[in-house]
Amino acid sequence: MTPATVPHLPRGVRLHHDRVRGTMVLLAPERALMLDEVGAAILGRVDGAAEVGQIAESLAQEYDAPLAEVSADVAEFLSDLARERLVDLHG
Amino acid sequence: MKWTKPKAVEIRC
Repeated sequence: MTPATVPHLPRGVRLHHDRVRGTMVLLAPERALMLDEVGAAILGRVDGAAEVGQIAESLAQEYDAPLAEVSADVAEFLSDLARERLVDLHG
Repeated sequence: MKWTKPKAVEIRC
């Protein structure tokens, strides 16, 4: 993954607001993952158009956090989800 | 809201 990688959610995977828990969940066939606020903020920016670098820059600005830290966390988070095939990093 | 390491926790049966 590079900053120019454009992540997207594979077919059948979507973000969903769980009203009972009051949290965002990532729904996939036969699976659901509960997201914390930062996880939901990252995946909310995964629209199939934004590059990883742009997502990190946007979040670093919004959270007033160091870009290096945000970039590393975003890359690790998306890599972990990609390994589970919940995010697609390959066009 | 402060930046924290993002988490995704699988919801089990």
